[in-house]
Amino acid sequence: MSQVKFEGIKKQYAADVFAVSDFTLTIEDGEFVSFLGPSGCGKTTTLRMIAGLEKNTHGKIYLGDDLVSDPENKFFLPPEKRHVGMVFQSYAVWPHMNVYDNVAYPLKIQKVPKDEIEKRVLEMLKVVELNGLEKRMPNQLSGGQQQRVALARGLVMQPKVLLLDEPLSNLDAKLREKMRTDIRAIQQSLKLTVVYVTHDQIEANTMSDRIVIMKSGKILQVGSPKEIKSNPVNDFVREFIQ
Amino acid sequence: MKKTVLGLSIFILLVLCVYPFLELFLKVIYSGPGGTLSFDAFNSVLTSDTILTAVKNTLLVSTAVSLLSCLVGIPLAWLLSRTDFPWNRRFRSWLCLPYAIPPYIGAIAWIFLANPTTGLLNRILGHSFLNVYTFSGLVWIESSFLYTFILLTVHASLERMDSSFEEAARLSGAGPLKIFKDITLPLIRPSILGGGLLVFLATAASFGVPALIGSPARIYLITTQIYTFQKMGSMSGIYRAGALSMLLLFSAAVTLLIQQRILRKSQFQTVSGKSSRPSLIELGKWKTPSVILVCAFLFLVFILPLSGVFISALSKVQGEFSFDNWTFSNFYRVLFETQETGRAFWNSFSLGVIAATLACLLGAFLSYIQVKTKLKGRNLLDLLASLPYSTPGTVVALALILAFSNGFFGVGPSLYNTLGMLALAYIVKYLSFAMKTTADGYRQIDDVLDEASRVSGAGWGRTMLYIWLPLMKAPLVAAWFLIFMPVVSELTMTILLTGPGLETVGTVIFQLQEYADASGGSASVLAILVVMLVVLVNWIVKKSSDGRYGL
Ligand SMILES: Nc1ncnc2c1ncn2[C@@H]1O[C@H](COP(=O)(O)OP(=O)(O)OP(=O)(O)O)[C@@H](O)[C@H]1O
Ligand SMILES: [Mg+2]
Repeated sequence: MSQVKFEGIKKQYAADVFAVSDFTLTIEDGEFVSFLGPSGCGKTTTLRMIAGLEKNTHGKIYLGDDLVSDPENKFFLPPEKRHVGMVFQSYAVWPHMNVYDNVAYPLKIQKVPKDEIEKRVLEMLKVVELNGLEKRMPNQLSGGQQQRVALARGLVMQPKVLLLDEPLSNLDAKLREKMRTDIRAIQQSLKLTVVYVTHDQIEANTMSDRIVIMKSGKILQVGSPKEIKSNPVNDFVREFIQ
Repeated sequence: MKKTVLGLSIFILLVLCVYPFLELFLKVIYSGPGGTLSFDAFNSVLTSDTILTAVKNTLLVSTAVSLLSCLVGIPLAWLLSRTDFPWNRRFRSWLCLPYAIPPYIGAIAWIFLANPTTGLLNRILGHSFLNVYTFSGLVWIESSFLYTFILLTVHASLERMDSSFEEAARLSGAGPLKIFKDITLPLIRPSILGGGLLVFLATAASFGVPALIGSPARIYLITTQIYTFQKMGSMSGIYRAGALSMLLLFSAAVTLLIQQRILRKSQFQTVSGKSSRPSLIELGKWKTPSVILVCAFLFLVFILPLSGVFISALSKVQGEFSFDNWTFSNFYRVLFETQETGRAFWNSFSLGVIAATLACLLGAFLSYIQVKTKLKGRNLLDLLASLPYSTPGTVVALALILAFSNGFFGVGPSLYNTLGMLALAYIVKYLSFAMKTTADGYRQIDDVLDEASRVSGAGWGRTMLYIWLPLMKAPLVAAWFLIFMPVVSELTMTILLTGPGLETVGTVIFQLQEYADASGGSASVLAILVVMLVVLVNWIVKKSSDGRYGL
């Protein structure tokens, strides 16, 4: 696990269309940070830039001690080499593989020995409370269970950082509440660095160590839920966090 | 009232789309002396070595074409939808263009290029290097058109697919090839199988290329064999053609059933609600090689054969390549001086207009009932109309001959070898296409508009005229042109339905090519005109529908 550092990140689409601009932030090792903001403010774009699924056009990104993206010097580490885990909003659990194979896939790619794969996959399935469902196909799982498969798959390779993009938005209210506490508990026990994208201030408040409030591609305020609540920098933040 | 309309519609469809096949079946079964039950036709077909060879050849060619098409079409689709391949949309429409060009044009072009004695490439290369009249020549020419089926279906399913499946694999550490093999390929397998079976069926049903390339090489397929039987002129020949075409029809039906089953059973839910913008794979140092490769492919399937036809059309003396040999006189001669070709052009043009117009009107009417009423049995319409559409053209033609040769149910003169028969065949064949296109159009129109109009006192007819027609313009225009285009150059059905004295563009090109190899470039001139028409029509359709229809 390790820190994530942004130095003056921008994402430019056209002459003066910036999805993200002047984004500077350091996410500490083992920290749970949420990006919070209205639709279209650049949360997903920023998250995908950490993974390398989107290229920043300016600035530098570090994962741990490693520089992973530096467009000014034409340096870019492709996503398959970044060693980050990600949980997609649509889960993206592969429908043609069973639960076990889904979770084992990242380890197979790394050519981990078979018995160790088995050990780590079963362990991880226990963490996300899916033990016993190894042989199930994804279409035999509920939305919440698919979510957990995606989580296990993102975690099994012990990534430097875990990225989650509105992972709970497709679940019903009750399940969402349980998943909130579960994800937070897993993060705590494994001491994960987590970046969590949401537009739901309850999620951000209850789960995060720090919240990053964004608007129109810019950071408005960074701080713990308490700090932001007691000391909002402007009316927009106050309205949004209330 | 509405029920009567539906009943009448079903009746019309039964007469046009079902009765001919029934007639084909009954006539072949009751082909004994005096119309008694007899299986002689089937027997003679099933025990003949020639036929068994034709069946074997058909299976072989169709399999080879399907495999080759997949081999080319899948990587192309992937390259165009998943990587940062430059100008990918433009390349896609160029690469798909052969979809709309009749394959026999390719046969003409490749005969001109790779005829073992006089082929242009052979003369450039100095000796008989290439021979188009071979099994591989046949497979190559068919594939150079039918790969577009795979490209279109696979590309569409890649575009529909939620890209986070592949992104998740990327973040697991897998490289592009590994992702393709482990994730993409299994997820698009149903559409590959579906597209592959369509190619198989299209090859088995094709006539032009097998007749022009296969027959001179003594490689007979089922369709060319049916043609031979039918042209024998005797009743027993017709019956044998009928028996053989039932065999073809049966195999086509089985293939289609398998395809539907595959599509229904193994379709994964790969479409997510939220549209995602995929992160494109950067080709990097592979960019230039892949662009070169695609361009070379485009050159081979499109530019080279087309230039061949062009050179031939512009040559005063075929096979000479000097500047003073270039002329437009071939065009003038074909269009205005030769009676046959001029007439063919006029016939095809008017047939195109008539068939497209009638098919669209009837199709729009039928699909309205199907989509916008709640009558029981309305889905039957679609089913009945799609029967001839998915049946090989050769079989449709034969069925129409047997059903309507003695006039329309015994009334009036024989329809064989008349413009009326041709128009009927085209309408029957393309009605389902018109219905599907207009049905899609209707589905996009809200019912509220309809109700609003009725509430304000307009009747059924006026609602149709003032509300529906304006909104339905784009699908109707598209359907009209997309029927007009293949009708103008249709060959497979036309060649069976016509005899001497009634020419169309397709049959004239075919006969010029088949009977007079040194036709002074007339076939090439017509071929060029067909290609120009295809490009023009495609452009019109694309522009008039804002890219919703067309290639
Ligand atoms: N290809 C593109 N060209 C131009 N602008 C784009 C492109 N892709 C995204 N954008 C813009 O970038 C901005 C940020 O998008 P992003 O998806 O990161 O927002 P988001 O905060 O995740 O919103 P949501 O909560 O709706 O998911 C949006 O305003 C979007 O319109
Ligand atoms: Mg988002």
